[in-house]
Amino acid sequence: MRLWRLLLRQWRLRPGRALATVGSVAVAVGAVVATWVSADASRAGYRRLTETVEGVPSIDVSAVTGGRFDVGLLPRLADVGGVRAVVPLFYRPTLLRVGEKRVREIAVGVDAENLVAIGLLTLVAGRACSGPDEIILDQSLAASLERSVDDEVILFVRRGVRRVTVTGIAESQSLKWFAEGAGVVADIAALAEMSNALGLVDRARVVVESATVRPSALAAVAARLPPELVGEVPAGRSSMAEDMLLSANLGLDFVTGLTVAMAWFIVGNAMLMNVSERRRQLSLVRVLGATARQVQRFIVGEAAILGGVGALLGAVGGLAAAGPIAAGISRALQAPVSTIEVRPAVVPVAIALGTLVAMAAGWWPARQAAAIDPLEGLSQAPAPPARGVPWRMIAGALLLWAVAAGVLGLVLSGRVPPRTAVPAGIAMMLAFVATTPLILPAVARLAARVIPARWRLERTLALEQILRQPVRTALTTGVMVVAVSNGIGLGHAIRDNVDDVLRWYARLLRADWVLSHAGVVANGMKASGPTLVQAEEDVKAIPGVDRVEGIGIATGRANDNACVIVACEVHDGEPLPVDPVGIDDTTVRAALERGEALAGTALARRTGIKAGDEVAVEVYGRTTRMRIAALVVDYTSGGSSLVMRRDVARRMFGFEAADILLVKAAPGRAADLKEPLAAVAEKRTMLLRSFGELKQFIDFTVGGIVASLQSILFLGFVVGSLGVANTVTMNVLEKRRTLGLLRAVGMTSRQVTRMVVIESVILGIVGGLLGTLGGLVTALYIQFSSQPLLGHPVRMSFRPGVIIANVLAAILVTALAAWIPARRAARLDLLQALSAE
Amino acid sequence: MERRVDVVILQVEHVRKAFAPAEAGGTGVTAVDGVDLAVERSEFVAITGSSGSGKSTLLHLLGGITRPTSGSVRLEGVDLATLGDEALAVVRRRRIGFVFQRYNLLPELSLVENVALPLVLDGMRNAAAEERARDALARVGMDHRAGHRPDALSGGEQQRGAIARALVAGPAIVLADEPTGALDSANSRRVIELFRELVEREAQTVVLVTHDPAIAAGAPRVVRMRDGRVESDTIAAGAPSR
Repeated sequence: MRLWRLLLRQWRLRPGRALATVGSVAVAVGAVVATWVSADASRAGYRRLTETVEGVPSIDVSAVTGGRFDVGLLPRLADVGGVRAVVPLFYRPTLLRVGEKRVREIAVGVDAENLVAIGLLTLVAGRACSGPDEIILDQSLAASLERSVDDEVILFVRRGVRRVTVTGIAESQSLKWFAEGAGVVADIAALAEMSNALGLVDRARVVVESATVRPSALAAVAARLPPELVGEVPAGRSSMAEDMLLSANLGLDFVTGLTVAMAWFIVGNAMLMNVSERRRQLSLVRVLGATARQVQRFIVGEAAILGGVGALLGAVGGLAAAGPIAAGISRALQAPVSTIEVRPAVVPVAIALGTLVAMAAGWWPARQAAAIDPLEGLSQAPAPPARGVPWRMIAGALLLWAVAAGVLGLVLSGRVPPRTAVPAGIAMMLAFVATTPLILPAVARLAARVIPARWRLERTLALEQILRQPVRTALTTGVMVVAVSNGIGLGHAIRDNVDDVLRWYARLLRADWVLSHAGVVANGMKASGPTLVQAEEDVKAIPGVDRVEGIGIATGRANDNACVIVACEVHDGEPLPVDPVGIDDTTVRAALERGEALAGTALARRTGIKAGDEVAVEVYGRTTRMRIAALVVDYTSGGSSLVMRRDVARRMFGFEAADILLVKAAPGRAADLKEPLAAVAEKRTMLLRSFGELKQFIDFTVGGIVASLQSILFLGFVVGSLGVANTVTMNVLEKRRTLGLLRAVGMTSRQVTRMVVIESVILGIVGGLLGTLGGLVTALYIQFSSQPLLGHPVRMSFRPGVIIANVLAAILVTALAAWIPARRAARLDLLQALSAE
Repeated sequence: MERRVDVVILQVEHVRKAFAPAEAGGTGVTAVDGVDLAVERSEFVAITGSSGSGKSTLLHLLGGITRPTSGSVRLEGVDLATLGDEALAVVRRRRIGFVFQRYNLLPELSLVENVALPLVLDGMRNAAAEERARDALARVGMDHRAGHRPDALSGGEQQRGAIARALVAGPAIVLADEPTGALDSANSRRVIELFRELVEREAQTVVLVTHDPAIAAGAPRVVRMRDGRVESDTIAAGAPSR
C-alpha cells in the first residue's frame, strides 16, 4: 500500500493529533521504563541489604539425608563458572578452658591457610592454623578470654583434652559467612580426627563471585552433584532474605504490570480517538475503493510508526526520569547509587513493547475503521456514536475475570508459584475496566450530582458527552481507575505488611535495651554473632538490670530443609515472644516447655510441615526429632524458622550463646543502664541500642522500602495524570465540530471552558470511585496472593486516609488536566471548527 | 423499453431497499421499492425526484456502496450482491467512478494526489498513478491546478477535480450524486457540459442524480422517481440514438 504519503500529509496538516498520539505512547513507555528501572533499583537495593548481611555470596552443598557426608562424594566444583572457591566445613561443639574460665564454643574446621591465602578469611594478628595443635580465635572471643597469638588454651573434644596454641586472631566480620557463630577455627582434618570423623564434613560452602551469578552457578553445581548431595543457597542468609523480599518484589511486579496496563489504556484510547476523528475521511477512502483490509493495515501501520517514535522518546524520557527516582530509592534503602544498573535490554525492549502495544491498541480501532459504512462518509451529518457496549467486550471481560479467579485459586492452593498472581491480577484489572461501561452511566450520573445546580446546562452537556460513548469513557477513566487502584491497593497492602512486621518486632523485642553483635538485629537477624556468653554474664552483673533474655540464632535443617533455629526464652507471666497461628498461648507455652518446637509459617509452607508433625532437626551436625507444636508468624529470615526454648536448644544442640540480649531494667532504672551497657558493648564488640533507637532504626529501614514502593506508585500517578491530560486534549480535538456548533448557537467561551472542565471533573470522580472499588479488590488480591509467600494471612485494615488522598488526587489531576484543552476549546475559531472533517 | 443485452452495462431488477427502524431513526422506511432499470454503455442518465424519493439510495445501490434488501444490481453482468466486501471494494475502485455533491477531496492531498488515490489503492506506484492522474485532470481542464490543495481551489474546480478522480481508473460507469448541488449556476452548467462531453467524445457512461429539473434536462434520458419507485423514464427528443 502506498498510502504513506497520505499519512505524512495528515501528520503535517494536523500535527496535534499525531503529536498527541506520540505523546500518549511516550508517556506510557516512559512510565514503563521508569517503573522498570526504579523497580530494578529497588531490587538492587534490597539485594545490597542482604549481601551486606551475607558478606560473601555462596552456595551450600550438604547431604540429602542430613548429617555429615564423606568428603570423597564431593565432585570437582572449582571449575564451575562463577565459582571462586570450594570450602568444606566441619562443625563441632567444644569446651574451651583458659585458666579457670570454661566456655562452651562451636569450633569450625576449614583449610584456614587456603582461606587466608585467597582473602576469604582476614586475620588481625598472627597466621593461619595448620596442624592438630593450632587454632584461630575470633577477635571478640579472644578479647573476652584475654588470649592473643601464641597463647595456649585447652580444648575439650570427644577424644579427650588437647592443649592447642592460638596462631591467629580472626576479624569477626570475615568469619560470618562460614563460621555460623563458631568462635574457634581449626584445621578441618585435625578437628574431624579429634571427633572420630576423619574424612567427613558437615557441608561444603561454594563461594561464588557475586550474588548475580549465584543462580546459574547453583544450577551448574547441582547438575554435578551425586544423588546423595544437594546444593542450595545457605539458610539464614540471602535465600531467606530473598523470601522476605519476595513480597516486596510481588508488589514491584504488580506496579510494573499495572503500568503496562495503564500504558495500554492510554495508547488504546489515543488510537481510538485518532480513528474516530477521521471516520468520515476513512469512509470516503472506502467509497473510493479501499478494501477493509487496506484501511486496517493503514491504521495499524500508523500505530506502529507513531508507537515506535513515541516509544523511543518515552524510553529516553523514562530513563532520564528513572535516574533521580532510583537514586532516591537507593538513598532510602541505604544502598549506593552505583548498584543501580540499567539493563541494556531495557531500551530496545521498551521500544519494541511500545510499538507492539500501540499496534495492538490500534488493532481494535482499525477494525472499527475497516467496518465503517462507506455511506457514513457521504452523509452530511456525522453518524452518532454507538451507545451500547459490545458484547464481545463483556464476554472478554468475563473471561478475564474467570482466568484471574482461577489463577488466584491455584496460587492459594499452592499449585502455581505466587508470582503467577501478578499477570492474573493485571488481567483482573483489565477485566474490571472492561466491565465498567456497564455501571458507568449510573456512576457518572451520581458523580454529576456534585456539580452545582447553577451550572446545570454545562453539567447536562458534559454528562451527555460522557455517556454517548461508554466504551471510550471507560478507557479514559481506565487510566485513572488503574492509577487510583494502584495507589489504594498497594497503599493498603504495603502498610498492612509493614504493620504485620512491626507487630512481630514489638512482640519479639520487648526490652529497654538491646545488645547484639553488629549486624544481627540491624539486618533482620540473619547473621550469627560470636559467643556472647561472657557478655550475658557481664550484663547480668550490672546493678539495675531486672532481667536479661537471650535469643540465639543458628542455621540448621528441619526434615532436610534449610531453616534458621531461633532459641528464645519464655517466662511465666510474660507474653509469648511469638505469634502462634490458630492456637492459644497457654497450649503453646506448655508444648515449648515439653521440648517441642514451633515452625515459622513460611517454613511450613515451603516444607509441608504441619502442627503435630515430628521432624528431624539438625544443628551443628546433631540430629534430634522434635514435635512441632504449632505454626507461628515469624519474620526471622523470612519466616523459615524453627523456634524453640533456649534451654531446649542448649540441651539438644549445645546451643550456648545468645546472639541478641534483651535487657529489661528495674523500674525507673532504664536510663542508668546506658553507660554500663555501652561499656559491655565496647568490650565485647557489640552494638547497643535502646528499644526506642531500635524501633527508630527498624522504622527507618522499613520506611526505606515503603518509600521506594511509594515513589514508584507516585510515578504511576504522574503517568496517569499525563495520560488523562493527553486524553482530554484529544477529546477536545475530536469534538471541535460539536464545540463549534455549541458556540455558534450562543454558548459563551466561558461556558465552553466550564463544560470541558466539568466533564473532566466528572471523569475524575468516576475514576476515583471505580478506582476505590478496584483498589480495595487489589488490596485483597495482594493479601491473598502473598499469603502463600508469608504462610499466614496478613490482617487487612481499612485506611480512609489512603482512599481520600487518592480520590482527591484523581479529581484534582483531571480538573487541572482539562484546563488547557478547555481554554483551547473556548478559543476555537468558529468557521474552522464548523468545517472540521 | 427494450434494450440490447450486449450493450447494457448496468441492469437493475426489482431492487428494493428497506431501512430497519433503528437506521431510519425509529420508523422503518422503504427507500427504494421494486425498481427496474437498465443503463446502456455510453448513456447519460439523470435520475431525478424530490427529496426522499429514493434517488440517492438508488445511486448508492448502483455503486455497491450499500446492498439491496432484495433484487439484483448487475454491473457488466456481475451481480454486486453476490460479491464480498473486499471484491466489492475492488469493483468500486476499478469499474465505478463516484462524484459527490461536496466533492469529498482529501484536504491533506494535492489535487493530483487526490485524483491518483483510486490507482494507488489499486497498488499502482505513486509516480505512474500521478501520471495518469495528470491525464485525467487534463481531460477536465484542470491539469494546470494539479499541485494545489483542495482548499486553494474554487468549488467548481474542486468538482472538476472530483470528476477527474472518478475517471482516472477508466471506470465502466460514473455515478454522480447531486454534483452541482454546491455550485453556482455557471459552474453547474460547466459540470453538466463536462459530463456530456465525456459521454459524447469518450463514450463514458454517466448516471447522475439531481433534484434540479433544469440540471436533469441536460441529460438525454431522465428517470423520475417518487416514493422509491420509478415514476417515469423518458428520453429527450433529439437525443442520440442508442
